[in-house]
Amino acid sequence: MKDTIRLGAGSGFWGDGMDPAVELLREGELDYLCFDFLAELTMALLQRQKSKNPQLGYVPDAVQTMKTLMPMARERGTRLVSNGGGVNPRAAAQAIVTDARALGLGGTRVALVEGDDLLDKIDAMVAAGVPMTNMDTGSSDFASIRSRVVSANAYTDSTGLVEGLAGGAHIVVAGRVSDNAVYVGPLVHEFGWQRDAAHVDRIASAITLGHIVECASACTGGMSSRFADMPHMGRVGFPIVEFHRDGSAVVTKVPGSGGKVDAFTIKEHLVYEIGDPRRYLMPDGIADFTSLALREDGTDRVHVSGVRGQAAPEQLKLVIGYQDGWIGESLCFFPWPHAYARAVKARETMLERFERLGLKADQIHFDFVGINTLHGPGAPLPEGAALDNLNEVGLRCAVRTRTAEEADKVRRAATHLWIMGPGGTSFGTPMKARPVVSLWPTLIPREFVRQTVEILEA
Amino acid sequence: MTRLLSDICYIRSGDKGDVCTAGLIARTPEDYATLLRSVDPQKVRALYGDWVQGTVHCYPMDNIHAVVVVMERALGGGATRTLRLDQTGKALGHALLRLPVVEA
Repeated sequence: MKDTIRLGAGSGFWGDGMDPAVELLREGELDYLCFDFLAELTMALLQRQKSKNPQLGYVPDAVQTMKTLMPMARERGTRLVSNGGGVNPRAAAQAIVTDARALGLGGTRVALVEGDDLLDKIDAMVAAGVPMTNMDTGSSDFASIRSRVVSANAYTDSTGLVEGLAGGAHIVVAGRVSDNAVYVGPLVHEFGWQRDAAHVDRIASAITLGHIVECASACTGGMSSRFADMPHMGRVGFPIVEFHRDGSAVVTKVPGSGGKVDAFTIKEHLVYEIGDPRRYLMPDGIADFTSLALREDGTDRVHVSGVRGQAAPEQLKLVIGYQDGWIGESLCFFPWPHAYARAVKARETMLERFERLGLKADQIHFDFVGINTLHGPGAPLPEGAALDNLNEVGLRCAVRTRTAEEADKVRRAATHLWIMGPGGTSFGTPMKARPVVSLWPTLIPREFVRQTVEILEA
Repeated sequence: MTRLLSDICYIRSGDKGDVCTAGLIARTPEDYATLLRSVDPQKVRALYGDWVQGTVHCYPMDNIHAVVVVMERALGGGATRTLRLDQTGKALGHALLRLPVVEA
């Protein structure tokens, strides 16, 4: 039995580059290549696609990537694990099996992990007294959105992935397993860890390493505050984890690839999108990020050790998506001289148009692009001549409405500025109104979630 | 000359629902002590005005010389419904670098 397992990070989101995954598979000597494709925003998009076509709802890249990689993966004995099934893992698994057959890869075993979709169990949970309190807002008025609910996916642990791997799967495709479960699953499987007190720290370490690499190039120089120092980011290497039986690990990448792995790039990702670092809560366990030690161990090698943790929480996060009206948006730009003053006057004009058009909006939001779009009240205005002499300023308007017709009034009002507004204004193509799926995150008892695994064979 | 956090640390931020999470990482061990003095929930709230509506938490990480800032109700409703362009708060955290350094 191996003492070190090598896992590669094949993607950090739906839309990530595929060439670094190909390079990793070719040169990384990997036991597993793992893919995180999901984000809360992604789940809402996928749900919209599935509602238009029941055969959709998985991440298209997830199927395309498997198609590209599976011949080499079969040859090398690298297993591919992803959560790219999104809201329709069954359709994804079937598409992968079809591709395997077309590629002449008969005997390819594809494990399908389901069970995160709890849309049909919502009323049973409510009836059983689950409060469904919104974790973000504290609201317990779930009844107010019940009729508009379109999706409900629980963040599930790696149990199903482990079962699929134990069943001999070459490829595992799941729905909403947690981002780092795609790394935890292979390690639990390989090292035969039990979910008991003796293994709590090792599972916490696997969760931590999963967190470090789950956004792929975001720990090899991508998004880095030191991006200017990063070599060849256009051919960045995705990370590799060399995970040891004792729970320690090294993060590295393919020699010669772009980017860097050093203690700083690892720190940057450790602090990314977490809550309390002492309690990084995942369905597989709780990791204490303040317990670990980082040590640079040669070029592009960082040793991670000492992670402590606690057993998995009793509750799982359920993210419920519900229809919540529409967003209408417009954008136009004004040139020097007096660009800012023109933008201010154009905002006033748009507000007058909204009144004349009888716009009914829940919220109206304006930004001065180039001034306060990103930091809002946190960004001070330039003063005096500097403000008057800006090269250009944009005016962005976004409005939330109950209906598509109302949202469309924003596009119309902005279009009216074509000749009703300030001279010299530059307009791009008008933007279409878009429907909003809002999220209602809540906590539910684990017993409502039953993962199921099925192995399909090509 | 007043120093700003941009002189002593780096930042990465992102989203979790309507929560913006930001990690400030000190450039040196000495800078970490300064960072701890210079950031607290009141300063963060004051900086962002009505863009951060909920509670702010600051969690120190002595082992990697970082402070994790968690801002609740800070993304205008969260990525899928916010009217802001920076839907997931990737840019929002950088404003923290404007906070003045509190010298010893």
